[in-house]
Amino acid sequence: MLDVLGQIELNESVKLHTIKSNKFKTDLIGVYIRRPLLKEEATKNSLLSMLINKGTEKYPSFLELNKKLEELYGSILVSDVSKKGEQHIIQIKMQLPSRKYVDSQDILKEGINILNDVLNNQITQDGGFKRESFLQEKENLREKIEGRINDKMKLALERCVEEMCVDENYSIYEYGSIEELERIDEKELYQYFKNVIASSPIDIFIVGDVEEKESQELFTQLLKFERGEIISIPNEVINKSITKVKEAQDNYNINQGKVTLGYRTNIPYKSELYESSILFSNILGGGPNSKLFKNVRERESLCYYIFSKVDKFKSIMLVSSGIEFQNFEKAKKLIQQEVESLKEGRFSQEDIDIAKKSIVNSIKSLTDTPNMLMDFLYSQILGNSFDTIENIISKIEAVTKDSIIEAGKKFELDTIYFLNKEKEGQ
Amino acid sequence: MEKEIYSEILKEKIYFHKLDNGLEIFVMPKKHYTKKFAIFGTKYGSMDNKFIVPGESNATEVPEGIAHFLEHKLFESEEGGVFNKFSKLGSSVNAYTNFNSTCYLFSCTDKFYENLSILMDFVQSPYLTDENVEKEKGIIEQEIRMYEDNPHWKVFFNGLRGLYHKHPVKIDIAGTVESIYKITKDELYKCYNSFYVPNNMVVFVVGDVDREEIYKTIEKSLKPSFKSLSGDIERIMPDETKEIMDRKIEEKLSVSMPIFNIAFKNTNNILKGKELLKTDVQTKTILDTVFGKSSKLYKKLYDEGLINENFETEYTFDVSYGHSVIGGESKNPDRVYDIIRGEIEDIKNSGLNREDFERVKKKAIGQHISSYNSVEFIANTFISYYFKGINLFDYIIELQNMDYDTINKRFKEHFDLDKSVLSLITPNN
Repeated sequence: MLDVLGQIELNESVKLHTIKSNKFKTDLIGVYIRRPLLKEEATKNSLLSMLINKGTEKYPSFLELNKKLEELYGSILVSDVSKKGEQHIIQIKMQLPSRKYVDSQDILKEGINILNDVLNNQITQDGGFKRESFLQEKENLREKIEGRINDKMKLALERCVEEMCVDENYSIYEYGSIEELERIDEKELYQYFKNVIASSPIDIFIVGDVEEKESQELFTQLLKFERGEIISIPNEVINKSITKVKEAQDNYNINQGKVTLGYRTNIPYKSELYESSILFSNILGGGPNSKLFKNVRERESLCYYIFSKVDKFKSIMLVSSGIEFQNFEKAKKLIQQEVESLKEGRFSQEDIDIAKKSIVNSIKSLTDTPNMLMDFLYSQILGNSFDTIENIISKIEAVTKDSIIEAGKKFELDTIYFLNKEKEGQ
Repeated sequence: MEKEIYSEILKEKIYFHKLDNGLEIFVMPKKHYTKKFAIFGTKYGSMDNKFIVPGESNATEVPEGIAHFLEHKLFESEEGGVFNKFSKLGSSVNAYTNFNSTCYLFSCTDKFYENLSILMDFVQSPYLTDENVEKEKGIIEQEIRMYEDNPHWKVFFNGLRGLYHKHPVKIDIAGTVESIYKITKDELYKCYNSFYVPNNMVVFVVGDVDREEIYKTIEKSLKPSFKSLSGDIERIMPDETKEIMDRKIEEKLSVSMPIFNIAFKNTNNILKGKELLKTDVQTKTILDTVFGKSSKLYKKLYDEGLINENFETEYTFDVSYGHSVIGGESKNPDRVYDIIRGEIEDIKNSGLNREDFERVKKKAIGQHISSYNSVEFIANTFISYYFKGINLFDYIIELQNMDYDTINKRFKEHFDLDKSVLSLITPNN
């Protein structure tokens, strides 16, 4: 059984959502703190996410906090940031084994207490974060930002977006920049943290074998918030006129080239055509039955991986693949041909049915993974459109060939990015 | 005949049913799960490059990467479109090859038995032509290139090449660009006919399913050609010395900072079944006690800025090999290695901290139970252990039975500094 139960407001713009299910071995709690994606905030959010799960007043070091988590049968506390369109979400998650399986009746309560300490009882020194830990995490964040080049597949996607949206906030890297990092000190960051807790819209989810009433009582009692004025977060700007397709490349000493094409879909997620735009991308590069997989991989043997995906909030479609360097022109041409051919309606009813079924299958499957379910429900909240899973599925089912073509015709190629090898002699 | 295994701690049940042709079927019911997941796997992986088929007198030797190549090719069928058949039902199909197995799997939320029947059918129906074998080479070459730029993959395999002289676990799973271009249709068929036989394969299903219906579906899908060989295939493993090959291996790649793996080689590989499982459970617990986030070693390395959040350990094993790997990123990996060596010497003298061990054990129990949330984890891990002669449900029992003294004994035996390798990937610019 799985029930998305009601929500209550724990405090101003702090909402608790309880999802009851007895099929899991765990209780999972997620705290989502919502910020706009801004150059002057992104690095701070990212640094905060690395710092706040490293210790609290009660468990003042990473070692002590982890000992406590281990005592709670290997409970897991993680925090991270994620970029959703032009919003930046600080996420704190805690997974606890369910009371049914371990000999600890208060485990959920203890978990919420730790979360409360993370949010409200950080260790401070002279009105700032403890200097030593702050400097440590600052250095770790530097390594993380610089370490972005270690994953070339992801890098090729991110760099395409940066070139494409160069004067938009969407180009901001989710972990921030070295330049901004240099400027942050422990006092300012602590003030910022207090402000984030007081002013951000916050959503809390729990997925587990817990009754609505119990969940509401526990969180009301144990999780405290000092609230101030709540910020409002602007919607993304998604329409942008393209005068000329941009081309960009970077050179690294590598063995495989990566090509990424960035398209503006020009269809906001609130549009009636949104589901059609998702289907367009799915038919193009959603899986082994897609046009790109069949033609670029299977027919031409050009690549091992090739896919397309849409950012819901920013209405951008990215197509990416790993190829031999000398095949760049060919791959670029083939990908564009496939997009054009879809726009002209060259796909069958079977292609549509398969794409629909694959999307419906993945939406239904979400309900078996607490973390994915939570993230999915939260993305609904971010879009201010809290639909039931059944409703979302029926919107997908309702899409027609005509509406997919209509959606596809709005797609515009904006940027072609190539991660290339170093030039000879370098 | 159906048997069942129940785990009181996990509150889960697995049913076992063996068909007349030798194929074994396992079913784990998961009430209220939407997703249904099935694997059809063969005990045949990247290590099985030299073997003697029952009835033949000569050993067959095949190019590196052939098991993985075969995995790609099984998606080809005479009427075309294995992917398409699953896609039409809305399910997703996939496959993977590792050291000792090749597994074909799908997950679906609808029409489970139809899907199962397609899975059974395509794995039993190889369709290889000279042309479609040639065509696959370009695709696999790009898969290999992709891994060549993956520093975590490279640092791991370089470490194995430092540990092992001859053991085929050191061979890259996909082979090399050179080796895959040598692969022929006939060799692929030879491997297929030798390893894709009922008594070398297993089916595992997990989800809210009906067992009788599963047995019926599978029985119905069996092809007359799908027959067990008259005896076991002999896998020829070279004699591996206890000594390591290289103390330090360094390679340059496009990375931001050095990435390291410190690997320790098992010297005693004679165990089977439960005994083998015990060393697995013990070694993982030791790794977590000594290098985990609550260890004093972790704190020292972290506080000195020598490691960051990407610091992990793992123990990988089979009947014929085993190794621990400690991996991370560091400005000064040589210093990390020195500190780790020092800590190992210290623990050899003083023993592991008893309190840390008890706590980490509690953690391991909680996390093992939690992992049963995931149908993918259950199916993949069950098959992997099953091919090693281990029943996954025994894992939690051995965790609970583990005591401090045996842990110390295992520590001394496994963490031999003369049997360790430092593998490094450093920036190439």
